[in-house]
Amino acid sequence: MTFPLLSLIVFLPVAGAAVLMFLRNDDAVRWTALGVTVLDLALCIAMLAGFDTTTHEMQFTERRPWVPALGITYALGIDGISALFVFLTALLGLICVLASWVAIDRKVKAFMVSLLGMQALMLGVFCALDLFLFYVFWEAMLIPMYLIIGVWGGDGRVYAAFKFFLYTLAGSLLFLIGVIVLYFNGGETFDILALTAQDLPFRVQSWLFFAFLVAFAVKVPMVPVHTWLPDAHVQAPTAGSIILAGVLLKMGAYGFLRFSLPMLPEASMYYSTLMLALSALAIVYGGLLALAQDDLKKLVAYSSISHMGFVTLGIFALNLRGLEGGILQMFNHGVTTGALFLFVGLIYERTHTRSIADYGGLMKAAPVYTAFLALFTLSSMALPGTNSFIGELLVLSGGFAANLAAGAAAVFGALLGAAYLLGMYGKVALGPASVGGRYKIRDVNAREMAAILPLAVFVLWVGLYPKPFLNVIDVSVKHLLAHVQSKGSGQ
Amino acid sequence: MTAAALFQSALASLPEIVVITGACILLILGQLLRKGQQHFLVWASVAVVLIAALATLMLAGEVRPAYTGMFIADRFAVFFKFVFYLATILTFLLSRKYADIEGIGSSEYYVLLLFALSGMMIMASATDLLSIYVGLELMVLCTYVLTGFLRQERRSNEAALKYVILGAVSTGIFLYGVSLVYGLTGTTQLDAMAAAVTGDPLDPGLLLAVVFIVAGLVFKVGAVPFHMWLPDVYEGAPTTITAFMSVGPKAAGFAVILRVFLNPLVAASDVWIIVAVIAVVTMALGSFVALVQDNFKRLLAYSSIAHAGFAIFGVVAGGADGIASVMLYLLIYSLMTLGIFGIVIMMRNGDFSGETIEDYAGLAKSHPGLALLMLLYLFSLAGIPPTAGFFAKFYVLVALVERGFVMLAVIAVLLSAVAAYFYIRIVMVIYMREPERVFDPALTPSVRATLAFTAAGTIGIGLFPAWFLRLAQVSVFGG
Repeated sequence: MTFPLLSLIVFLPVAGAAVLMFLRNDDAVRWTALGVTVLDLALCIAMLAGFDTTTHEMQFTERRPWVPALGITYALGIDGISALFVFLTALLGLICVLASWVAIDRKVKAFMVSLLGMQALMLGVFCALDLFLFYVFWEAMLIPMYLIIGVWGGDGRVYAAFKFFLYTLAGSLLFLIGVIVLYFNGGETFDILALTAQDLPFRVQSWLFFAFLVAFAVKVPMVPVHTWLPDAHVQAPTAGSIILAGVLLKMGAYGFLRFSLPMLPEASMYYSTLMLALSALAIVYGGLLALAQDDLKKLVAYSSISHMGFVTLGIFALNLRGLEGGILQMFNHGVTTGALFLFVGLIYERTHTRSIADYGGLMKAAPVYTAFLALFTLSSMALPGTNSFIGELLVLSGGFAANLAAGAAAVFGALLGAAYLLGMYGKVALGPASVGGRYKIRDVNAREMAAILPLAVFVLWVGLYPKPFLNVIDVSVKHLLAHVQSKGSGQ
Repeated sequence: MTAAALFQSALASLPEIVVITGACILLILGQLLRKGQQHFLVWASVAVVLIAALATLMLAGEVRPAYTGMFIADRFAVFFKFVFYLATILTFLLSRKYADIEGIGSSEYYVLLLFALSGMMIMASATDLLSIYVGLELMVLCTYVLTGFLRQERRSNEAALKYVILGAVSTGIFLYGVSLVYGLTGTTQLDAMAAAVTGDPLDPGLLLAVVFIVAGLVFKVGAVPFHMWLPDVYEGAPTTITAFMSVGPKAAGFAVILRVFLNPLVAASDVWIIVAVIAVVTMALGSFVALVQDNFKRLLAYSSIAHAGFAIFGVVAGGADGIASVMLYLLIYSLMTLGIFGIVIMMRNGDFSGETIEDYAGLAKSHPGLALLMLLYLFSLAGIPPTAGFFAKFYVLVALVERGFVMLAVIAVLLSAVAAYFYIRIVMVIYMREPERVFDPALTPSVRATLAFTAAGTIGIGLFPAWFLRLAQVSVFGG
């Protein structure tokens, strides 16, 4: 057995959380949490350094029997698709600790323990190669996330936490039934790779497709099961929003990539038009809602719905450009929207208002802040040179190839994006000084800079030289696509 | 019956003999003790249960039929007996301080618990409708008295009276069913019953008999429509007894249900349709009514109805996996329920009753450790991984889907999503409110031990379920 690197990456935050339990001083808690996330990120980089981009096979695999009587194993492993998200999770974990440094001033220890627990579970979701293990990680995330929103959130936090919990729970319980049905139809195993190799009858695939769809659509979220998202985002503390937007939403799309497409290829192809329509609806509807928001956080939240629509559009275009664009866009959205929530949090810490109407002329008061805000805003609207441009371009070209109407809707959504994002930036940063002029606003300090800079680097890196990122996913995506097309063309 | 057969029978029922003898000795001994020496009784009772457990373990090697087919000591019975020992010992530990606070620490309290235990043990081993009846009555008569143990409280008296009357009616119904079976088949032994029926298993007389027996049994586990007594009894009884009743007698009821329902005769009469309806309605009622409860004990009463409903789904599934899933469910349910009752019992101190949910507001602030334990038990009751409660539900669902009852599985999970709401509402009260009072829990070493044990079980079985699953699977009778 080789060195269990993935187990170490997944369970390091748990060990860190256990250490935190014994600390009494808040600063010690913060520094320890920071140390754990830095170490975890370093391990992820080490893992990526040893990652072989020329094969679609699972790498760094570990396998141990867990519940042999039911064929459940403890199995971890990553391919190109999950490697990208393991890295994203570790990166955002670090940024969450930095973003909570002063924003969380009560029950710091409990918060950091929840945050680290959350990180371990999210990493576990992306690494799991056993469906039961995946489900355990997936569902257990509800506990720390419920606490993060409910204990440290805004005024309406209790309602938002309940809504988040119940929506996600109801979705995932149907997924659980789907998993068990899959278990009995796929040879009594929970092994994801073995289940991928099965040929299920189309009728079974259809039922499972919808059972899985409920769970994943709630997480993405797709219209019409998106209504938990604005509440959860607005009420969650900054770190909670970053986790939600950066990683949690990706899990729905990851579920499509890991389960729906490879295990249910016929159903995925058969219902792809429906999925494209839902994606187009999310893009346009999310964009229109964002256009009407006055609350900064709500605006970014609704923009997430629209952007995740691009992701699902790319995935269900079921062609190479669409899939690669969708996956890259998942990564980009994590970086960019994570950054935007960070920026909303930073300004909220200073002014205690999120209403766009209260702002104006921030550029004079906080030039560095506004400059970076401009970068991330432009990235979010997919200006050439930024990361989202590459992703959206691929998605659009894939989308047009698959379905003209869906592609057209996506273009319209991109225009909407420009409208609400530029509108927001114009009102906040430019124009006559409002809050920014009346009060003295502190510009970003070194700690905040440390959280912003890595994200800015990735915005430009992916925007100007996306090759390394596409390389990581390329072979896995090609393999996935070939698998879907060969198995799914039976109908 | 020859002397050798009698000896063999006595050997097979050695654990029951130990408990009953121990209870009789303690009954006399209790009268000789002076006030203030009663703590001795707790440890003596625990010792009796431990000796019985040892005897059970030594006899666990082989299947021993006894008393001319009325009684059997098999692995199935051993599994349930250990659940009972667990429930009883933990109840003793929880009772030590609580009995002092409530002033109910007389020797009868412990002796009655031991007699109830022996009744449950007989139920788990009974293979004849009449020996089932004897065990059942021994158990419920003790719990009637224990429910009314708070003599000065109207609620407790009312609960005991309700329990006696309704319990007697249900027992009567059960006995009537037994008499019908005897009239139609000429036997009351479970195995012989199946052999005696050669004609149509859907004979209306037999069907009626089965329905009566079912009604009598589901009363004991508190399933709808025979659940009316349960919330009042749970609320009125001393909390330690509520904890005991929601675990021990419930598990004993399921032991009998599994033996009777999965008997070929009952299995052939399509009774599973009735059972499936009972499961759905029970779970729905428990989950929805619990949503509006403010009293913690009442809420746990409805939650126990909902859990009984979920376990009945395992009975519906039947087969080896179905039986094993019910057994595992009951074991896990016992641990988490005793854990959460442990906290409720411990909060009862001084003038603080800890009976309403609001009483727990802000517990996380002053007692983070206790709050974390509550969090663990509550999420386990809600069935969220990685706790044991999730695995219990998961295995029942596996058994259901295995038999093709996918729609029932969907109903079960949707109802458990409803149930999750009232558990996380308590988490909300504990974590997301500001404390309104100073908490002074009665944290004695024996309560600490109970909490540590149940918490370790709740998280331990959740993370490493393999061994316990195997245990339940090999304990399924016939296997």
